[in-house]
Amino acid sequence: MAAEVLVFNLLSGIAIVAAGAMIMMRNPVHSAIALVITFVNVAAIFVMLRAEFLAAVQIIVYTGAILVLFLFVLMLVNPDDLPEFHGARPLQQVFGFGLGIVLLAEIAAAILTRTVVAEPGPWTEEGMAQAGGNIQAIGQVLYSGYVLPVQATALILLMATIGALFLGRPDEDEEPSPSRRTVATISLAHTRGSDEPEIAALRAANVKHEAGDRDIIMARDADEFTSTPAEEEMKERSE
Amino acid sequence: MDANLLSSYIFAVIVLNVLLGLMAYMTYFERKIMAAMQDRVGPNRTGPLGLLQPIADGVKLLSKEDIIPKHADRRIFLLAPLFSFVLSPVAAAVIPFGDSIEVFGHEVNLYVADINVAALYFLAIGSMAVFGIILGGYASANRYSLLGGLRSAAQVISYEIILGLSLIGVFILSGSLSLVEIVSQQNETLALGPLQLPNWFILSQPLAFVIFLIAAVAETNRAPFDLPEAETELIGGFHTEYSGFRFSFFFLAEYISMIVISLFAATIFLGGTDGPILDGVWWLGLKACIFLFFYIWLRTTVPRFRYDQLMGLAWKVLLPLVLINILLTGLIRLWGLGML
Repeated sequence: MAAEVLVFNLLSGIAIVAAGAMIMMRNPVHSAIALVITFVNVAAIFVMLRAEFLAAVQIIVYTGAILVLFLFVLMLVNPDDLPEFHGARPLQQVFGFGLGIVLLAEIAAAILTRTVVAEPGPWTEEGMAQAGGNIQAIGQVLYSGYVLPVQATALILLMATIGALFLGRPDEDEEPSPSRRTVATISLAHTRGSDEPEIAALRAANVKHEAGDRDIIMARDADEFTSTPAEEEMKERSE
Repeated sequence: MDANLLSSYIFAVIVLNVLLGLMAYMTYFERKIMAAMQDRVGPNRTGPLGLLQPIADGVKLLSKEDIIPKHADRRIFLLAPLFSFVLSPVAAAVIPFGDSIEVFGHEVNLYVADINVAALYFLAIGSMAVFGIILGGYASANRYSLLGGLRSAAQVISYEIILGLSLIGVFILSGSLSLVEIVSQQNETLALGPLQLPNWFILSQPLAFVIFLIAAVAETNRAPFDLPEAETELIGGFHTEYSGFRFSFFFLAEYISMIVISLFAATIFLGGTDGPILDGVWWLGLKACIFLFFYIWLRTTVPRFRYDQLMGLAWKVLLPLVLINILLTGLIRLWGLGML
């Protein structure tokens, strides 16, 4: 028993220190790593509470998916480009503080009603064994008593996904206007100037692309690389 | 200390060392098999048939200079290879290597741990292992490495979903997440009229098996899904700046996770230790070798995917297929239980 308390104190201590470090770190990537440490320690505490399923889900969802996405975004952004951190407005501060108190009170209430005041809930070790293990117990509870909240959450997540797709959709113009398109041409196949007679012959014969819808674009020498707005290119060629 | 715990620890040490030894010779066999497929000879200078080559490579990597780029994020740069290296063999802890045996009058189980969420544990460790690659790519302060890390992040998130979902069909049929339980269910025989087949989940979940195989290749960053380290475009990707033994940590991690995921696939889909005559461990090893050979075969055969093809394959092809598989398996299971 004593060893268990010791391990619990160690895990929760590291989790709290890492959570503090997460807020204090200057570099956002270091913050993310501190958060990984917190999550892993919390998962370990779940294992000690014999909630292995919760621990695995904690790691897979938070550490393996959400934090990887965090890092993905953080790595795309140069830390110097991030906006300055500034204090919230007074009203925001008061509101945030109040919400924090409510959250703490909720947690305290949940713990007190289960330990100090009333008898433990239905999911003691015997209750779990009766349900066939903690995965089965969670499954039964989620898909019987809490089926409506589960479905509602699924719906909200679906809406969020559709919202993200809507925000990230490509522009509606079917084809960008010639002024926004650019034509890039590069030729590496010939030595400088060696194919000018052929090109001149092709131009003179007014040869079209196989599909017949546009001119053949050819670079006149090996080092030539053009990236011109398509409008000008078209004008130039039509002249 | 309780004897069971002690035997678990001892077994863990044995598994770890065997994995490290296997890994060294995995590189040898990869080079030999690739050479044979490409009509070359392969390593043949160090020792008879080049058998000492992996040891020579190991010594070479350990004795090389350890370079840290000037602008690197030093702490993360040093930490990242360890992240990869420590996590890859840890996943092997839940794989059952056989029935329990008797050693010095003690019943010793041939697995490190039988936890009730073993399969999820495996996926969780796999999802953590990518941090090594992402952080290594970030900390190198090199554009190519950063691109490798970013690719890895996107790839692993996509394919992890596929990997997890492809296993759900097996979970529905077995009714358990414990690998020991899943293996013991596959030991039974499946009688289809006069035909007696082993009850391996590859037979009842063929689609899931194929999808798992594809996702596993992507998850271990192997060809043709090795975009995080595509030599031709990223010059090595996330490990460009690593040298000496830090590089070898990434290298070790990649090969160990290949071996571990092969063992896992053999356990889930090919009946694990199930088989006649030989002991269970040998059967498991043989089945894992099939997957390892498949990995090498793929590398020599299939060209690397383009990045958008890789993501398109995951989200537009594999995800719908795997969801259909779950739906069908669920319906059949309910019908089998007489609830439909």
